[in-house]
Amino acid sequence: MKDIARQSMSIKVESMDLLNGQIKMEAHASATYLAMASWCEQNGFFTSAKFFFKQAEEEREHMMKIFNFLVDTGGNPISPEVTNINHDYSSITDVFESTLEHEVKVTKSIHNIVKKAREAGDIATERFLDWFVMEQIEEENTVRDILDMIEVTGTEGVGLQMIDNQVANWIE
Amino acid sequence: MNVIFQSTYYTLYQAANERCYYIDFGQKLVRMSLCQLLSLRHKVNTIAIENHFDSDLNAHGFEVLMLCNKEHLFILNTLEVLDLKNLVDHGFVAIGLSAKTEVLSQ
Ligand SMILES: [Fe+2]
Ligand SMILES: [Fe+2]
Repeated sequence: MKDIARQSMSIKVESMDLLNGQIKMEAHASATYLAMASWCEQNGFFTSAKFFFKQAEEEREHMMKIFNFLVDTGGNPISPEVTNINHDYSSITDVFESTLEHEVKVTKSIHNIVKKAREAGDIATERFLDWFVMEQIEEENTVRDILDMIEVTGTEGVGLQMIDNQVANWIE
Repeated sequence: MNVIFQSTYYTLYQAANERCYYIDFGQKLVRMSLCQLLSLRHKVNTIAIENHFDSDLNAHGFEVLMLCNKEHLFILNTLEVLDLKNLVDHGFVAIGLSAKTEVLSQ
């Protein structure tokens, strides 16, 4: 029997399902950062708003990277439904703490897919995710540095404005 | 045409010379590309079967399934949905695109 399935698709459906889940997660991250940009704009943190607009774009690029990988491997990429976007934050510190929390969640999810791909002997998916593993280290590091800066600067008096100005250092 | 998997109500065939698949739904034989089979898998897997057991969420326990870009429409009851899920699970293992081993031992 000719293996027409393998000829049309080069990854396993389990990897495809996990990657579709990751597409959803990146879309959710993008929408969350857009909500954070909105919060920053409304609360006078204009530089931080710029930072989050850019993050939102980057998360969409991550999503498209995975989407196109599924196209290239002959899979069935699913355009994600994005719901439950939080727009409420108690402070700028809360915004960046939530960002770090979100990035850690994404990192864990990517590591989980790498592990599952490895178990299934799906080398293509495993290698494809190398870029994401490295990207997550950078993303987590950026937010951690911003949180350190917030800690050092302090939120009293002109602290908040200084914090916002310094976020510029993390916008490439 | 080779039989790939047969469930209680349905049969999945592979037609290697046409590079496609067929599912015999009983009253209808449906030709499908692998993409369409993947799309069927997605639809079947996203059916909220637990709603069939809640008369508020799915009063009559039916599911409308549209296949092959709206070319075919099926109305399935709970047992048929479960059987189709079973066909899809085993079918993908049999065509070598699923690494799921627990399915085979069921
Ligand atoms: Fe991302
Ligand atoms: Fe990120």
